[in-house]
Amino acid sequence: MLGSVLLQAAGATHESFLQFLGKNLELFLTYTGVYNATPGHLIMILIGLLFIFLAIKYEFEPMLLIPIGFGILIGNIPFKDAGLQVGIYEQGSVLNILYQGVTSGWYPPLIFLGIGAMTDFSALISNPKLMLIGAAAQFGIFGAYTIALQMGFEPNQAGAIGIIGGADGPTAIFLSSKLAPNLMGAIAVSAYSYMALVPIIQPPFMRLLTTQKERLIRMKPPRAVSSTEKIVFPIVGLLLTCFLVPSGLPLLGMLFFGNLLKESGVTRRLAETARGPLIDTITILLGITVGASTQATQFLTLNSIKIFGLGALSFVIATCAGILFVKFFNLFLKEGNKINPLIGNSGVSAVPDSARISQNVGLEYDPTNYLLMHAMGPNVAGVIGSAVAAGILLGFLG
Amino acid sequence: MINKKIGVLLLFALLVSFGAKAQRATSMRINEVLVVNEDNFVDDYGKRHAWIELFNGSAGSVNIAGCFLTNDKNDPKKYPIPKGDVLTIIPPRQHTLFWADGEPNRGTFHVNFTLDPSKENYIALYDADGKTLIDEIVIPASQKADISYGRTLDGQGEWSTLAKVTPSTNNVTLDSNEKIENFKENDSWGIGMTLTAMAVVFSGLFLLFIIFKQIGKFSIAASKRNARKAAGAAVVADNAGQESGEIFAAIGAALYEMSDDNHDIEHTVLTIRKVQRSYSPWSSKIYGLREVPKK
Repeated sequence: MLGSVLLQAAGATHESFLQFLGKNLELFLTYTGVYNATPGHLIMILIGLLFIFLAIKYEFEPMLLIPIGFGILIGNIPFKDAGLQVGIYEQGSVLNILYQGVTSGWYPPLIFLGIGAMTDFSALISNPKLMLIGAAAQFGIFGAYTIALQMGFEPNQAGAIGIIGGADGPTAIFLSSKLAPNLMGAIAVSAYSYMALVPIIQPPFMRLLTTQKERLIRMKPPRAVSSTEKIVFPIVGLLLTCFLVPSGLPLLGMLFFGNLLKESGVTRRLAETARGPLIDTITILLGITVGASTQATQFLTLNSIKIFGLGALSFVIATCAGILFVKFFNLFLKEGNKINPLIGNSGVSAVPDSARISQNVGLEYDPTNYLLMHAMGPNVAGVIGSAVAAGILLGFLG
Repeated sequence: MINKKIGVLLLFALLVSFGAKAQRATSMRINEVLVVNEDNFVDDYGKRHAWIELFNGSAGSVNIAGCFLTNDKNDPKKYPIPKGDVLTIIPPRQHTLFWADGEPNRGTFHVNFTLDPSKENYIALYDADGKTLIDEIVIPASQKADISYGRTLDGQGEWSTLAKVTPSTNNVTLDSNEKIENFKENDSWGIGMTLTAMAVVFSGLFLLFIIFKQIGKFSIAASKRNARKAAGAAVVADNAGQESGEIFAAIGAALYEMSDDNHDIEHTVLTIRKVQRSYSPWSSKIYGLREVPKK
């Protein structure tokens, strides 16, 4: 009955209407993900699932890996390129609009604002010499830069890849969006992946490069820091670092501004917004769009594999540089003032994961030696150091 | 007190306005001029005339509406650039072209003077006040046809006869990034970059270290002084004001334990707790219960 009504409405014969339905169905099939899937899409979907698994099962940076992993799934649903504005690379699509924050580089400074508002620089202020460890760990960036050059990358691409060694996702995204936008997806995923894998990458090298005696070094407890010192720190920090490297202004400016909101004591609401709803919102948008930007057609290239290799290497170099620098520094320090080299790994800016690793490895050798507070010093110095390094690379190669 | 606050605000506004000046018309430059146009760029009426190219050398958009173009030193306000035309907003590092055809009725970009190839041509750009000179140039006489006179680098550099005429585009076409090429040529191993960048990172953080070491010393001394003041003539220990966090943690733990001990339930010990509740009809159970329906 309904069929005959439809046939009449279509004003067509029974046969031609069936043909019409068949053609429509055929056309619809060409739009489905199943029809457009390629092995590349399936590989990327598996990678996305792996990220989600690692985040849920082992709690490796879940705040990042869940959005990025799910973003990879979103970005790798195959679709027909028919101008429907669904893909992240299609101008005007919702994902493309959200992705603007990554491509034009305004998500990372907002993340830095939140980081500043949640970071306590007391450990660093009470023992300022720990800043130098944060500087030493930046060798990871330039070690990877040198190797990337030898692997045939252009200097600007090598700079963007090298920044993975700073272990700072927002900085990596910010710099790669300026220096090598075509490599940004691979660099961002690589940086966040290795940040999540810090508990696996760092400990073997920490054990390898330290002696039993060194691992047992007890450091002086940090002194209490006055609120005036905490207020002065972001102001002096900004003026000093940005006068030296103005190109680091977007990141360093927001980092220190966020910290002043926290420490001034009179802008509690603003600080809470920056370290709460604002950073959460941006983290969600950043994670999901960076993940979605890894469309198989754009992402699965030989360069991406090279970038992953270089990323791992840069983390190793940064860890080793931090530890070896502490050992070298100890040669000039009096007994009682020496630094436990197990905090050398914290010079990378994966806050607070790498500091937590210093603590855990330290406790393995002396269950009463708590290194967390000491490790937080180089850890936050690493954030400043990597932002300065990014500014230098941008200044030289931008 | 209020006056002081207003003063601070005014000072702040003044500083901000100084900073904002960089994005105003002062960053515009006269960039290229073609005096004799025989077989070159045509205007929107299909005519060939002399033209003057302006360049925005800043990183922000600049609105040149209200500024003045002139070819007469004694008449800085000769051609006021009309207001209300969106095309007078010049994007960063972009160009715009004015036709020196003496036909201002043809639109915003047609000025009311012409250029004379037989003599020197003075061209100047004035800010909206008609007094502040932004840029000026004297084009030498006897310019050849279809050969432009311009800056060797856009927005900066010396003026000379250009090898090619480039209306509304860069005078120098860059086909590579000079900085990157320089690094490729002179630092193929990245050693120079590593040494320079690490030196900068170390010096930045070293300076912070030095400054905060001094601030720390000053802070410790200040807290000792305060402690002495608080203790009056009493002797203050050498390490006053630099108690470690562990001491505070121990004090905190002790206080917590003490307050935690003030509970009334102990293991294997029964204690009596006196409960005081003042009566209120708002909390009375009688009013909270429904009456049993009467049969």
